[in-house]
Amino acid sequence: MFPGSEAALMDEGIASLPEASAQDPLAQLVRRIRGGEAEAFEPLMARTEARILALAWRILGDRHLAEDAAQETFLRVFRSLHTYRLGEPFEAWMIRIAVNVCRDLARKRGPLPVPLDLLDVLEGDAASLGAEEAVLLQQRRALVRQALAGLPQAERTALVLRDLEGLSTEEVARILGVRPVTIRSQVASARTKLQAHCARLTTPPQGGRP
Amino acid sequence: MTPHVLKHLPLWIEGDLAGTESAAVESHLAECPACLEAAEALRASQARLREAMASPFDASDAVRLRCSVMDQIRAEPAPRPILHLASRPALLTASAAALLLASLVWRFERGRSVHSAPPPAPPPTSAALSAEPDPKPAPTESRSALRYETQARIRPASRHGTESLPSGMPARIEFQTADPTIRIIWLAQATPPSEPSSTPEEKS
Ligand SMILES: [Zn+2]
Repeated sequence: MFPGSEAALMDEGIASLPEASAQDPLAQLVRRIRGGEAEAFEPLMARTEARILALAWRILGDRHLAEDAAQETFLRVFRSLHTYRLGEPFEAWMIRIAVNVCRDLARKRGPLPVPLDLLDVLEGDAASLGAEEAVLLQQRRALVRQALAGLPQAERTALVLRDLEGLSTEEVARILGVRPVTIRSQVASARTKLQAHCARLTTPPQGGRP
Repeated sequence: MTPHVLKHLPLWIEGDLAGTESAAVESHLAECPACLEAAEALRASQARLREAMASPFDASDAVRLRCSVMDQIRAEPAPRPILHLASRPALLTASAAALLLASLVWRFERGRSVHSAPPPAPPPTSAALSAEPDPKPAPTESRSALRYETQARIRPASRHGTESLPSGMPARIEFQTADPTIRIIWLAQATPPSEPSSTPEEKS
């Protein structure tokens, strides 16, 4: 990207940047990218893309939208890398951007499409599992996704970050810019609603579907 | 029997309660089948949540995403590197040229009365600039990236140097404003004049 000057940039730049946590391999990549070596963004993506894709899908509930969100997230990360403070956890910074992107996309798209029809959510598992087992699995998944689709966006995001991304309450609070007590209340509410929704249909529906 | 703990279960189930609260819930669950049943239902529902929300993406999705993003990144102008302005010759030369032109015009407009000689016939351009080696040792730079072999100072138009900067050598340019407390220091990549015969230095 900077013909003829990359070596000089690396030599001069890295030594003069503030101390980053040496044990964080992402921090090393970030320094190289900030030094002008845009190609170092590729290994950085390779380490983080699966997480960002999954996160976006969990928040948005839609595969294609999640792919759009992940793409937009990485572009924003690249373009705003100069605002990242070395030393702060890079993945948390990235997740905050991803959450904001998802929020923007969700606002544009409107309410979540609720996956009501079991047949719509049947995916590739049916072939590898026994037919009956696969149907039950898909049924369980559809129930959970229905429940999530019915949650307020803030509760859903808090639940995703806390229970599916495995972040601590304090980390989630920092990422979302709210107090930890708010996160506790949101995840408690979301877990309760999810359980109540699944309890309504613990037995497979017999007979016709509406 | 201790009080029911139903309202604490959603936090207890994922370890979100403090130690003492958690112990209280557990001792109640040991003696209350109703609360225990609710706790088991919550545990099952949390397990379903993780099962249902396992990522649907595989490695090929990730690679597709990466290629698409990298294509866009390569196509767009590079972001400004941090702290590395001095090591980007193209940008530096362009910025320096703009500043020099601006400062010369400023001199030209403001400095007519102090010139002992009339201004050069052709309007000054960056090629008309001259610089002389700094007579004093170069001030020590705190940043090692700013060490240069040649330190030069652009003098006011009334003093013409006799030496042009060696081509391709970065130079330090100091521009003293009317306010003695303000001095603009710029690093520049000097380029040889394209038409040397038209510059005042060549005439002298
Ligand atoms: Zn009880």
